[in-house]
Amino acid sequence: MDLASNYEIAHTAQFIHARSFTRVALQFPDDLLKDSTTVVTALQQNLQSLKVGDDDDDDTQVAQLFVMADTTYGSCCVDEVGASHVDADCVVHYGHTCLSPPKSEKNSNLNSNIITSEYHKCSSSFTCLVLYGLEYSHAIHHIKEAVIKLTIGGSKRDSALHYANIIQSVMDPSEDDKAFNGQLESYGSAHGSFDKCKQIGVDVAENRYVRYDPVMNHLVKDMSQQKKILMRRYYLVEKAKDSNIIGILVGTLGVAGYRRMIHQMKELITQAGKKAYTLVMGKPNPAKLANFPECDIFIYVSCAQTALFDSKEFLAPVITPFEATLAFNRGSQWMGSYVLEFQDLIGSFTLEVNGSSEARFSFFKGGYVEDVELQANGVDEEERATTLAEVTQKALQVRDKYSNSIDRGIAESGVEFFSARSYHGLDMQNEDPLPRSFVVGRTGKASGYYEGETNK
Amino acid sequence: MVKFTAEELRRIMDLKDNIRNMSVIAHVDHGKSTLTDSLVAAAGIIAQETAGDVRMTDTRADEAERGITIKSTGISLYYEMSDESLSAFKGPRVGNEYLINLIDSPGHVDFSSEVTAALRITDGALVVVDCIEGVCVQTETVLRQALGERIRPVLTVNKMDRCFLELQVDGEEAYQTFQRVIENANVIMATYEDPLLGDVMVYPEKGTVAFSAGLHGWAFTLTNFAKMYASKFGVDESKMMERLWGENFFDPATKKWTAKNTGSPTCKRGFVQFCYEPIKQIINTCMNDQKEKLWPMLKKLGVTMKSDEKELLGKALMKRVMQTWLPASTALLEMMIHHLPSPSKAQRYRVENLYEGPLDDKYAEAIRNCDPEGPLMLYVSKMIPATDKGRFFAFGRVFAGKVSTGSKVRIMGPNYVPGQKKDLYTKSVQRTVIWMGKKQESVEDVPCGNTVALVGLDQFITKNATLTNEKEVEAHPIRAMKFSVSPVVRVAVQCKVASDLPKLVEGLKRLAKSDPMVVCTIEESGEHIIAGAGELHLEICLKDLVDDFMGGAEIIKSDPVVSFRETVLEKSVRTVMSKSPNKHNRLYMEARPLEDGLAEAIDDGRIGPRDDPKVRSKILSEEFGWDKDLAKKIWCFGPETTGPNMVVDMCKGVQYLNEIKDSVVAGFQWASKEGALAEENMRGICFEVCDVVLHADAIHRGGGQVIPTARRVIYASQITAKPRLLEPVYMVEIQAPEQALGGIYGVLNQKRGHVFEEMQRPGTPLYNIKAYLPVIESFGFSGQLRAATSGQAFPQCVFDHWDMMSSDPLEAGSQAATHVSEIRRRKGLKEQMTPLSEFEDKL
Repeated sequence: MDLASNYEIAHTAQFIHARSFTRVALQFPDDLLKDSTTVVTALQQNLQSLKVGDDDDDDTQVAQLFVMADTTYGSCCVDEVGASHVDADCVVHYGHTCLSPPKSEKNSNLNSNIITSEYHKCSSSFTCLVLYGLEYSHAIHHIKEAVIKLTIGGSKRDSALHYANIIQSVMDPSEDDKAFNGQLESYGSAHGSFDKCKQIGVDVAENRYVRYDPVMNHLVKDMSQQKKILMRRYYLVEKAKDSNIIGILVGTLGVAGYRRMIHQMKELITQAGKKAYTLVMGKPNPAKLANFPECDIFIYVSCAQTALFDSKEFLAPVITPFEATLAFNRGSQWMGSYVLEFQDLIGSFTLEVNGSSEARFSFFKGGYVEDVELQANGVDEEERATTLAEVTQKALQVRDKYSNSIDRGIAESGVEFFSARSYHGLDMQNEDPLPRSFVVGRTGKASGYYEGETNK
Repeated sequence: MVKFTAEELRRIMDLKDNIRNMSVIAHVDHGKSTLTDSLVAAAGIIAQETAGDVRMTDTRADEAERGITIKSTGISLYYEMSDESLSAFKGPRVGNEYLINLIDSPGHVDFSSEVTAALRITDGALVVVDCIEGVCVQTETVLRQALGERIRPVLTVNKMDRCFLELQVDGEEAYQTFQRVIENANVIMATYEDPLLGDVMVYPEKGTVAFSAGLHGWAFTLTNFAKMYASKFGVDESKMMERLWGENFFDPATKKWTAKNTGSPTCKRGFVQFCYEPIKQIINTCMNDQKEKLWPMLKKLGVTMKSDEKELLGKALMKRVMQTWLPASTALLEMMIHHLPSPSKAQRYRVENLYEGPLDDKYAEAIRNCDPEGPLMLYVSKMIPATDKGRFFAFGRVFAGKVSTGSKVRIMGPNYVPGQKKDLYTKSVQRTVIWMGKKQESVEDVPCGNTVALVGLDQFITKNATLTNEKEVEAHPIRAMKFSVSPVVRVAVQCKVASDLPKLVEGLKRLAKSDPMVVCTIEESGEHIIAGAGELHLEICLKDLVDDFMGGAEIIKSDPVVSFRETVLEKSVRTVMSKSPNKHNRLYMEARPLEDGLAEAIDDGRIGPRDDPKVRSKILSEEFGWDKDLAKKIWCFGPETTGPNMVVDMCKGVQYLNEIKDSVVAGFQWASKEGALAEENMRGICFEVCDVVLHADAIHRGGGQVIPTARRVIYASQITAKPRLLEPVYMVEIQAPEQALGGIYGVLNQKRGHVFEEMQRPGTPLYNIKAYLPVIESFGFSGQLRAATSGQAFPQCVFDHWDMMSSDPLEAGSQAATHVSEIRRRKGLKEQMTPLSEFEDKL
């Protein structure tokens, strides 16, 4: 394939040149990193030639190009933090993107990448919306033509076709509302991206749709897999209701409104009488999350396309802010729609302090369970300052009662969890209280130090 | 015609010596509900004539339809004793009025949790035994349960009418049958020696055994006859009673009592001579419509009939005559009043069983003395659906103090721990209600010793709870009930229309409340699961869910599913090792099966995480042959910290081992909940930590590194130790005549069942068969059995044990492997098991 056209080198160079950016960051996903050098060279050449082309002003330099790779979070989001390290005034993002609106208004350019073009055909007797992935955008006009040919041929008169506008991440059906006739009720972020079909399934679970699979070259109509995913998410919501300690994972530093979302989550969790801890750890993986065994569940605040984690391998499940809202907002019920992007969530979200008199029914315990903090609230609010001491004391008492017991019960806060652990860290009492003189540490890497090798 | 009012009842409720709380328990179809009817008739709610046909306590349409009791129902009865009959009563009493709180319980084993709930709130039990079928498996189960709760039993040999009408047995043979029934019951009771409860065995000559015909509404104890004959023979009643049972013979010719049958044709056993024969005679006379003979006989017995009753013929006449002569209510109620304890008497010894807290605090004291002025102690044993849909009455027993309308109560749920706020609510009682069969009456308050239904607490109580006054923060809860059945059969439900989900959730919540045993949970796959004790139980639960609790929304139910367990057959073939994600730590483990009986001991709570380690190691070393030191090195039990698997530390001199213990435990809890085969719970596996190599830096051996590694190494050791599936197995008891045996064996064979006991009931043509039957094969079993035996065999299935499936789940195509892939498919997992290489690492 032609590299220049795939990466739209000329167009990009034009863009940079026209706006006279001086420092440009090129963000590559891991799988396209191998092309980065070629792209940079080509871009530089292009820019150079552009500059030569209209050299009326000499003090403008050729833009400096930086390659950004190995993003902290999903490679679909613009890595603003990385870009600000090089003080870039423009970020060119390659590869698959989630199109989440970035936090600050920087110029971002979008390019589509290599996928063979195929006709994405969707013709039937009812109104239909064609959703397509960003990578297919170059093929969409072929489809339009093909469909027009079909309709002119007179086969289907009443079919109406609508094409999604892909440059926005959220589609607004308002203009075509009547035509849709209720067949498509909810949209979320709708990118028919092949590998991200998971999201689609969740988004439009209520609607009928077919998916075209360009690799296998056939239409997929069976949506049972999607339903299964949705049921699994439902289970996680129920599980979240039963958790006491919640970790909020910061999965983005770029998407607009993430701080507000985190704040909102904290508020929600406190309101529900649970404990929240905020954790920043980049891309979550089982090993990282298992470092926080006290958390019963994690909420992953991130862009829509990285939000869904199949957390089978994780010690504690990972849910989305929308699911958290369902779980912790007493009385809210899942009506079948699904919101992934938290911009939508922030608006719709209301903190309901409903004084519903009924206790919460847990499907894990098969009975009523009341959240501890919720009950304690109001009764003795003033004990806040001494909570830690009291909790520790209580834990100690319990341990005394069953000496050497190996049963540890359920912790309601991080403090309680740690006090119940069998290992509390080094025993400070036994150590020499006097400060010691410093010693030289070990050198080398973790797999083997140059000195003091005891293991390995 | 209602003979008593709520006011009258309320007045007697204060007289704690004049109250009897009792439950009616028996095997299925031995006539509990029918017998209860005749008692209710005496209290005047239903007309005497229809007694035996109405089944007052079967309040549900499906109960009436199937002819079995499904839910236990309480009734408060008011009964006035005559001075004469009370003359022999030695205990404390106030006046002659008595209040009997009666609970009719179901006999089918699937509903035995209802029996447990009924027993908890009563002090005495009327054990009903069919005189022909004798003591059956469920009789035994409920009797044992009653004795475990320190419930004093009295016995009634029921369905006497069968002896007279159906089988026409002669006196001596009937006596032998009755004697055997009583003996069998006593054998069970004799195993419970309890100094506080005293001798619990039943003796006809002491008046603790009645003979009844529930269907016809008559019954007698030897007291009835003793009274009749005592004056005639010029001996006192107790002496006469002794003569009426056992080896006492009377020869009318010589008018002498002997201890042996003299052989003379007129010499007959006392019971036969004076009890059996007269009844037989009356019945025969009635049945043959020999009225001219009948009236003088009745006159002699002091029985007067109304003129319109004299017009009756045949069976109707017989029923009427017998009811007038030997009314069931009089005999049974008097037996209860005389021989069953009043609350004040019973609570004196039951407090130890009931109260969890220290037995010398004021709550224990109040329960012990049944003190109406003491702090409120109330145990809610079940929830009863109210007429307005969705609401429930909390039904229970006041053990101390008073509960009144409008009072604020502390609700301590089953997970409440004194001093903590978990599972604790304070709410006010909207209404206190007493139960009178099909109707309820509101009263101002209910004092201790009585059963009560409370309105307004149903949103905080799932199944049971302990209630006390708002201020009584020191009180401990009343001990939770122990059930003899467990919910092993499960079905997944979904709503037909996705938007009905809230209705389904609400419905499941209500279902969970309405039944003491059913468990509503959710699976990993997001399916809602209803678990019950058996097929019938589930059927009833689903019916309730659809008809009553879901507001008309439709559901789709899956076929019944059975949960399996994963275990190992042998010790791991080698020590397996897994490396942490950063490759700096290595865990070495081996799995081995736990010793026989150890998993059961953990289930029963004999060995558990909260034991004193010394006691635990003593049991382990003495009963299971463990090394004493090793027994002290148990790290944890799992899943859920109490399950029948454990991790044992076998390492020697490993650095930092204490630091990773918590992480290994966390990994084990996780892994033992979802085994490597099909993510079912593990059972009976001991994981031995053989060696551990850890990184020198604490940061590199944190939880994040060790927890996933522990999980992997546990899976690896499970797979290398010949993993096997365990399936749940029912114990089935079938009673059937000889000609049905062939059919029974045929069906059992077809269903992988095997018979381990076959016994003929002495004196009957019936056989008693006990067999093991895998739960998974039990669906449709009773239907097939009925078809194969033309309706003569009726099975009772109760979960018995976990049985290892001999086939290897790792070998493709084997039965166990089929099950594994089926479960995996249902759970939405990859159909192929994760291979060992994913879990085990090479050095």
